[in-house]
Amino acid sequence: MKELIIQTEELTKKYRGRCAVDHLNLEITKGDIFGFLGPNGAGKTTTIRMLLGLIQPTYGSIQIFGRDLHKDKLSILRRIGSLVEYPSYYGHLNAVDNLEAIRRIIDVPKSRIDEVLHIVSLSDESRRPVKGFSLGMKQRLGIAASLLANPDLLILDEPTNGLDPSGIHEIRELIKSLPKQYGITVLVSSHLLGEMEQMANTIGIIREGKMVFQDTIHNLSLKSTHDIELVVSEPDAALWLARDLGSRGLLHDGTLTFPDMNDPQIALLVKRLVENGHDIYRVEMKKKSLEDIFMQVIGEGSIL
Amino acid sequence: MRTFFRILSSELLKISKSKVWLLIVVSPILSTLVGILAEPYEGIDPWRIVLGTMVFLHGMLFLPILAGLFPAFICRYEHTGGGWKQLLVLPVSRSAVYLAKFTIVAGLLAVCQLLFLAGMLIAGWIQGFTDPIPWGIVATCLFGGWFACLPLAALQLGISLSWSSFAAPLAVNVSLTIPNMLIINSKDIAPFYPWAQPVLAMMPLGEADFGAFNLPLESLMVTVLGSFLVFFAAGLIHFRCKEI
Repeated sequence: MKELIIQTEELTKKYRGRCAVDHLNLEITKGDIFGFLGPNGAGKTTTIRMLLGLIQPTYGSIQIFGRDLHKDKLSILRRIGSLVEYPSYYGHLNAVDNLEAIRRIIDVPKSRIDEVLHIVSLSDESRRPVKGFSLGMKQRLGIAASLLANPDLLILDEPTNGLDPSGIHEIRELIKSLPKQYGITVLVSSHLLGEMEQMANTIGIIREGKMVFQDTIHNLSLKSTHDIELVVSEPDAALWLARDLGSRGLLHDGTLTFPDMNDPQIALLVKRLVENGHDIYRVEMKKKSLEDIFMQVIGEGSIL
Repeated sequence: MRTFFRILSSELLKISKSKVWLLIVVSPILSTLVGILAEPYEGIDPWRIVLGTMVFLHGMLFLPILAGLFPAFICRYEHTGGGWKQLLVLPVSRSAVYLAKFTIVAGLLAVCQLLFLAGMLIAGWIQGFTDPIPWGIVATCLFGGWFACLPLAALQLGISLSWSSFAAPLAVNVSLTIPNMLIINSKDIAPFYPWAQPVLAMMPLGEADFGAFNLPLESLMVTVLGSFLVFFAAGLIHFRCKEI
């Protein structure tokens, strides 16, 4: 049994009778990168605010590091680094002073400021007032702040929001390296599956406050079906030939698409096509992307 | 307690690099000008005349307004940059944060009072007073004015914490301070009107012989202390339950 870092039971938050978060059971194991996915307004940020004690749950319990958040809030928060929604900063201070304002409260050595600025590659800009920073730089400063206390758990809400592609790449690589290098467990939220796919090991998909899927990325991809695509010299004739073999396909732009074919079926079709004098240019397997599955999940609710 | 001092030190860093210092000097400078222009007359301690004149503008208008401006100021950079989230996910209790913010406001008001004292000494020096400075009266006046500002500061801190707007808490504060000009004339209302207390507390006894000015300091302190406890507790309770 793996050690659970975060565990919520029936976590619920109601606003005027509407459930923003609805009986959520979240389980995150140690050393994991947990991707918290869902469309905008699904309840991701509300959940994260409850995990950080910024708001009180209407109902349900939260255990972090095996302790009750309500009872041991301060000692739990001491071990968490976080970035909630938009980056927080003091515009009139420079990057170093922004971190110093936090450092004075959490009491870590001063050298830590240079270290975290280096981690997020802001060392060169550290003496400029933060109000002149781009959104991406502010975001990186926010991540630096979250790392300042050497946390065991990092909670990042949409950390790549507003970053350019190279910034997204940097942050992603940084997040991926954290569990390996420092044994940090990461909870990262996003509304983009593509991002999660490259970062997270486990994902939880939330929709209208309810968890509709929680498993590894691998298991999610197993749920996907795949198509076989063929490009041949005489597609019309090939389509009829396939129909004789019991495979119904579609012809589109010269490409034949067959859903759900197993290996013997493919082998037989190719063999017949060759025997009948077709030239075969390409045989491809088109995996249904996780994006499609994700859309299916958030579109229809719990279908998996 | 250690957390409190840590937050305080963090707050000092934030405030020290802001423009709040410009605000602090305005009222003492204007009061000094008033003090320089005050005309002492025969038979009365000139220091008391100068003090009494300077106190009018400072105590009736500027000090109560500053008691609202400082809280708005130290909450502003938290509201605009999303600082509350970052501050309150640190291992700090909300009470400690509230207390630290309040201490900063009280400190800024104290600095303002000290600058006012400096202004008074400068005014006296320019006018060439030779009489000894009545330190007892001056100290009572400065401390009383500062203390009478604390309820206003507590109320404004509560309002500034809950409203993300910078102007709205100020509007509340100014609209409650302006009536001072009328209210201090009333013996019946002024002793119970918190915004009038700074000027009442700062006026040297017997200097202004009208309205509520002849009340002993002790009776003013009842109003001050009572309103302070109510406003401070309300602000603290509200902040502790607030959803960030």
